[in-house]
Amino acid sequence: MSPIGFVALIIGIPALVLLGYVLITGSTGLRRYILTRIVLTLPMVLILGSLVFLIMRVVPGDPVSSALGPKGTPEMIQHIREQLGLNDPIIVQYGRFLGHMFTLNFGNSLVGGHRPIADEMSERFPATLELIVPASVLALLIGIFGGAHAASRRKGPVDYAWRIYAVVIYSLPIFWLGLMLQLLFGVKLGWLPISGRIDPIIGTTLVHRTNIYTIDSIISGNWLALKSVLQHLVLPTITLGLILSGIFVRLTRINVIETLSMDYISAARARGIRERVLVYGHALKNALIPIITLIGLQVAILLAGAVLTETVFSWPGMGSYLVERISQRDYNAVQSVIVVFALLVAMISLAVDVIYSLVDPRVRY
Amino acid sequence: MTALQERPPEDIPEEITWEVELQKVGIVRRILNARKWYGADWWFVAISSVLVAIFIIIAVFPSLFAPYKPDALVGPSFLAPGAYPPVPVLVLPNISSANTLKDLAVPAGQPRPGISVVQGGNTAGALNDAAKEIDNQIKTEPEGLRLRPNIDRYASVEEALQAVVDGKDAAAVVESDEFAALKAQYPTLRQGESLTGGSKTAGGFLLGTNDIGQDVWSRLLWGTRVALIIGFSASILSLIIGVPLGLMAAFIGGSFDRLLSLVMDSLYAFPGLILAIAITAVLGPSIVNVIVAIAVLYIPTYYRMVRGQALSVKEDVYVEAARSIGARSREILQRYIFPNVIPSVAIIFSVNVADAILTGAGLAFLGLGLPPTVPDWGIDLARGQRFIQNAWWMITFPGLTILLVVLAFTLMGEGLMEIFNPKLRER
Repeated sequence: MSPIGFVALIIGIPALVLLGYVLITGSTGLRRYILTRIVLTLPMVLILGSLVFLIMRVVPGDPVSSALGPKGTPEMIQHIREQLGLNDPIIVQYGRFLGHMFTLNFGNSLVGGHRPIADEMSERFPATLELIVPASVLALLIGIFGGAHAASRRKGPVDYAWRIYAVVIYSLPIFWLGLMLQLLFGVKLGWLPISGRIDPIIGTTLVHRTNIYTIDSIISGNWLALKSVLQHLVLPTITLGLILSGIFVRLTRINVIETLSMDYISAARARGIRERVLVYGHALKNALIPIITLIGLQVAILLAGAVLTETVFSWPGMGSYLVERISQRDYNAVQSVIVVFALLVAMISLAVDVIYSLVDPRVRY
Repeated sequence: MTALQERPPEDIPEEITWEVELQKVGIVRRILNARKWYGADWWFVAISSVLVAIFIIIAVFPSLFAPYKPDALVGPSFLAPGAYPPVPVLVLPNISSANTLKDLAVPAGQPRPGISVVQGGNTAGALNDAAKEIDNQIKTEPEGLRLRPNIDRYASVEEALQAVVDGKDAAAVVESDEFAALKAQYPTLRQGESLTGGSKTAGGFLLGTNDIGQDVWSRLLWGTRVALIIGFSASILSLIIGVPLGLMAAFIGGSFDRLLSLVMDSLYAFPGLILAIAITAVLGPSIVNVIVAIAVLYIPTYYRMVRGQALSVKEDVYVEAARSIGARSREILQRYIFPNVIPSVAIIFSVNVADAILTGAGLAFLGLGLPPTVPDWGIDLARGQRFIQNAWWMITFPGLTILLVVLAFTLMGEGLMEIFNPKLRER
């Protein structure tokens, strides 16, 4: 099975089960809401895709001549342009682009060996996934516990420390944080590798099945590779996770403070329930519900952060793919990446809404 | 004595406590207790405004603060902060009474002193020049001293120094850093003055130099200008476009509003940096293009905020009243809606400048947007990454500056938000 198919299965099956469950058990209102949301994600992806398609076409600069360099004769350039369909009227190209977008087939790359973009992405996308999932988990852990901790010591030094943490993290250039971690743990202390996904020599022993290296090495029982993969993961994960955690600390803090001022908390406090149980048990649990929606809004920050993190750590994911292909003027690859990112954003925000409606029974659409 | 004054302070209802305090305390206490007036950390605004002001001054007059031009090659490459470029120094036996080159001069006719140097380095040339200059100067003096040393060339620093230890030569001339490294091996030698008699600690750089010998500190200061130009211009541009669009959407409504909102929401939800990457890649590297690309990202922020606020103000009773006495749309917009929107625009603007600076630096770091000759922090960081193994200062300081600038603008926005928006006070 192709790697992208495998990844699609890992994400797709639970998502479909969830969606089916909600659609079957949900109320009519909820059902209608979710279907509307699904229909509404289409224009968003369409708008972004078309925008990128347009701006990539209106500017000077030709992928074929820049790929061939000074060796390319006008005839050669013309021939390749013809083959790639770049000489067709823009409206025909646009139609083809829309077709590619809806079949998720994306056509071929304009540079290099003209490989299918879907194939190239099936190598890159799992790398990004392997980075953003642990980073999000780390960010959520720091964010939720930090935020609740700050809220429980409101207006005290602990609270101020967490607020300053959140503001400083927000102002940190993520690529600089990455560089500083590389400098400290990679160069000065020499504990961790500073680039790539796996040691290149150990990498040759790894059987690629999903292209998510952690899963690949566990499936094949290649513990040496697993160790190398995890070592390479540490610094990028921390970089991306820390940057995201600032916002989560803030959101959790505000929500827990709000919840702590509610009557039922006062009632619980009056009954003599300990403050710690009150904050982490009663308040946090209820404060988390609105946080779920806010998490959905941070996907944009997560993806933008991933692009920079991947560049800093030479991580061969979607972000570095985008940056690489942009410099080569590979329109097809660039607009495909943008479409995939847009789909990802749309899907995650939809998933968040669905989960929200499941978690909070008060929400009715 | 009124009843109020006799009452202990604890009994005063909490709401009016601060009013009483205000009457009692002087201006200093008032400022210290300022948080109680506003319920806001106004000193956040104060500190960050000062920082912002400093950065703006630096950005306007970088040449006043920066010792060098940003692209001037002013020193050796990879000079660490606080380190000094090596100078040719005199190395003498401990027992020698001489200290400078001039002290080695002897009366005419006596054997000329031997001085050892390393072959192929630039020390021999420096020694020759310095000796000639001193000789020309002293031969007119009545003492009749001359300085015409025998220059002995050796293959390595060690051999040159050994010649002095053995007494073959009166002194050696080597680079200061080379002697510093070998000093422990030659206990009988000491370092004299530098050849020209100048300071051995001249020509250092506060934050070191980069790979081609540019001053990191000067580039930082000049980079302020680029960063602030990008931050301010992009934010102003998106404000100019976003605010009217938001007002129009709120006022016209209907399908115009719906369509515009759909486009804006799509833009808003999408990762801004990635869109900026695509736009700058397409437009090509120049400051103007970066500004345009970043401005596009922030238009939805203003649009959404202004539209939301305008919609809610539009429904307020006083606008209703104004409309019912025949005020025109333009008047309503000018007199009622615009003033209500302005504070939020100011807050968003401040935070936006911070965000735009971050995004601009990110683009430059990726090698997009700015031409590589521009002194910019992002470009300096990307360049520093290549030398992470041997020049920590090249990546540490530009990033720290970005952090400081962004922090200043963010805190200003945050503080403004708390002051303008009393509902947030309790958070």
